[in-house]
Amino acid sequence: MDKEEELKIEGMHCATCVLTVSKSLKSVNGVKEAEVNLATGSAKVILNGDVRLKELVKAVRKAGYDVATQRFIVKLNVNPEEIPKIVKKLENVRGVIDVQSNPGLGTVMIEYNPISTTPQEILKEAEIKGEILSKQHTEKDIIYKDLYDLLRRLLIGVVFTTLSYLFPTFSIIFSLPVQFYSGLRFHKGAYRALRNKTTNMDVLVSLSSNLLWFSSLFLLGKQTFFSDASLLITFILVGKTLEAYIKAKMSSDIRIEPYRATLKDGRIVSSNELKIGDIIIVRAGEKIPADGIVENGEGEVNESILTGEQKPVLKKKGDSVLAGGILVNGYLEIYVTRSWDRSYIMQVTEAVRGAYNTRVSIQNLVDKVSSIFVPVVISIGIATFLIWRFIMGFNTINALLFTVSVLAIACPCALGLATPMAILTSVHRALKRGIIIRDGSILEEIRNIDIAILDKTGTITKGEYSISEKIEFIENALQLASVAESRSLHPVAKALQKLGGKGEVEYFEEFPGRGVYAKVNGNDVIVGNRDFVKNNCDWDAKEDEGDILICINGKPGGVVSLKDEVKEEARKVIDYLRRKGIEVIIATGDNSKSVDQIGRELNVKVYKGMSPEDKAELIRSLKEKGHKVLFVGDGINDGLAIKEADIGIAISTGTDLAKSAGKVIISSLMDILVLFEEARLTVRKIKENLTWAFGYNSVLIPIAGGILYPHIVIPPEYAALAMGFSSVIVSLWSLIPF
Amino acid sequence: MMIDPVCGMEVDERSPYKTMYKGKIYYFCSSNCLKEFQKKPEEYLRGGPKGMPHG
Repeated sequence: MDKEEELKIEGMHCATCVLTVSKSLKSVNGVKEAEVNLATGSAKVILNGDVRLKELVKAVRKAGYDVATQRFIVKLNVNPEEIPKIVKKLENVRGVIDVQSNPGLGTVMIEYNPISTTPQEILKEAEIKGEILSKQHTEKDIIYKDLYDLLRRLLIGVVFTTLSYLFPTFSIIFSLPVQFYSGLRFHKGAYRALRNKTTNMDVLVSLSSNLLWFSSLFLLGKQTFFSDASLLITFILVGKTLEAYIKAKMSSDIRIEPYRATLKDGRIVSSNELKIGDIIIVRAGEKIPADGIVENGEGEVNESILTGEQKPVLKKKGDSVLAGGILVNGYLEIYVTRSWDRSYIMQVTEAVRGAYNTRVSIQNLVDKVSSIFVPVVISIGIATFLIWRFIMGFNTINALLFTVSVLAIACPCALGLATPMAILTSVHRALKRGIIIRDGSILEEIRNIDIAILDKTGTITKGEYSISEKIEFIENALQLASVAESRSLHPVAKALQKLGGKGEVEYFEEFPGRGVYAKVNGNDVIVGNRDFVKNNCDWDAKEDEGDILICINGKPGGVVSLKDEVKEEARKVIDYLRRKGIEVIIATGDNSKSVDQIGRELNVKVYKGMSPEDKAELIRSLKEKGHKVLFVGDGINDGLAIKEADIGIAISTGTDLAKSAGKVIISSLMDILVLFEEARLTVRKIKENLTWAFGYNSVLIPIAGGILYPHIVIPPEYAALAMGFSSVIVSLWSLIPF
Repeated sequence: MMIDPVCGMEVDERSPYKTMYKGKIYYFCSSNCLKEFQKKPEEYLRGGPKGMPHG
């Protein structure tokens, strides 16, 4: 069986890195698919059951990069001889990378993937008991580690570069920390890449700064460029730090730290320590720390973080509340119904994390270009040197300066960031409006949709039936039916209950989706759909004989026709889809006459009486004919159809996202408009970002090479500044919502 | 205890798989048996249980 694993990759700077990591992951036997994302610094790997996570980590490390892992030590309560058995057990737990034991101390050190599991989960799954000894690190540490490292190096760079410009005589001394501490991450990266017979951005940075620094050493006493080499590294670090800051900021926006929860007995705990059944107190202004049911109190809750809806919702005893909402006013006592790990907000976070790793088809082009980019730039650099030195007759130093500028200005980072940054920001923006995009590729695919199938009840209609027509063959049949239905919660039963009737239900049995049987005032009453009633009554009912049949004591009692009202927003969405040239179809399980009426009213084709399997089959047959199909339906009932469609959208009715098969989860039909708009914006942003990244290099590389000499010359340090900012601009441009 | 008319197993009256046919309620052990009965009720009522249906 296939498994999916997400890894946080460290040390990736550019599009070439993405290729290298992706290649190394795919080289592991049993890896079916590996999607590496530069913007999030993560890799999503699909593997068959036998591959050990350790092999993946080894492959990534061998390629010169690192995987963010965490370790914890457990003191086991077992005899030393039992430890090897436990180690074996632990090695097979999902997310575990390595297990090392110290039988003497009775401890095991477990290295694990913090993205897919936690120490507690590992111990639970391996069914072992033990005390965790080491202090745990949070995911925040991983995300911010890179940023802090860059900041440290940048600070050293700024201080010593300034000093080397202020005191040029000592520039060789002041440039040392910059060249060999601040720039170390580039030199290391370049070394790793070259050892693996590949090239990346680090090679360009390291090559250009070392060319400046070592040629200065060679020219000591004459013309030196120590300060320029320092400034080059510092400027690149400015760009890299800004880029890391943007990434960290984006990641922290979707990362949810546990909240503070006040238990009824006054104790204050973290929300991840809460257990099902705990009663917690929430006062006005506080965040709701857990999913649960209001046990006591009343108040208005702002759930905009979950639904995108700004208007607060009144919650009183018996209402459900979700972690993350803010109690605007009032006081609530909440009975916790779900653990923090399974809370709705954590499910959303998980779902969105998946979307961030999506690859879109345009990325393949970018990968192809990136793989040859650095060697091409180095060749241009060499050609530049040869032309200036031997054709134009410049001295070696000046010819070298042009070469260094070429190397410093060419940056494939922007190419690598263009697509993921655009998707990341769109997914993020949609989330803020309550739309959960689980798979970012739909933002590109949605453009190709030519048929949209909508479920009826609850999706385009209100699901609140009213009676449009009623006929009685036996006196009081309608009243008896109304009493019989008084025990049912079905929307059709609610409509019949309005007919009013008095009597006592002596026996009641409900047959979901078909009808009810009840004994009312001594009469056998059967109410339900045509097939159900015909099977149990002396009645050869015709097709057009109403939607709901009533059988009294085995004889035809009466018929009722129903009407379901179309939601206003459904009309708007259907109009919008039509304007986009998309054919709209309604597929519903309902077999009543009202379906035809709705079809006529909205002027759409209707398929009625469809089982979930029929809907999926309909989608399959349309796909076989070459159509691209979008399906919108209820998250749980229409799971099959949602899965089958090219783009399956679930209208979330519950709070258990894990049960929903949709690539997108929306809370209202109108969200489809937002989704199409967001998709249009994403594709435009990707194109703009790529135009910027390609355009930037094609314009600036020749200028750095001296094509406009003597009018415009770009010195190496400014070339470096431009390099750093190309990624920053792509990142910032993606964030702008137009 | 009732008898599932499709597979012949004993079933509790609290089983969620049930249907009504010719005014009588029948209980089933699974949704498979229920679906099978709904397809051809007469066959099972006349011929008796035939064992667990596949699928």
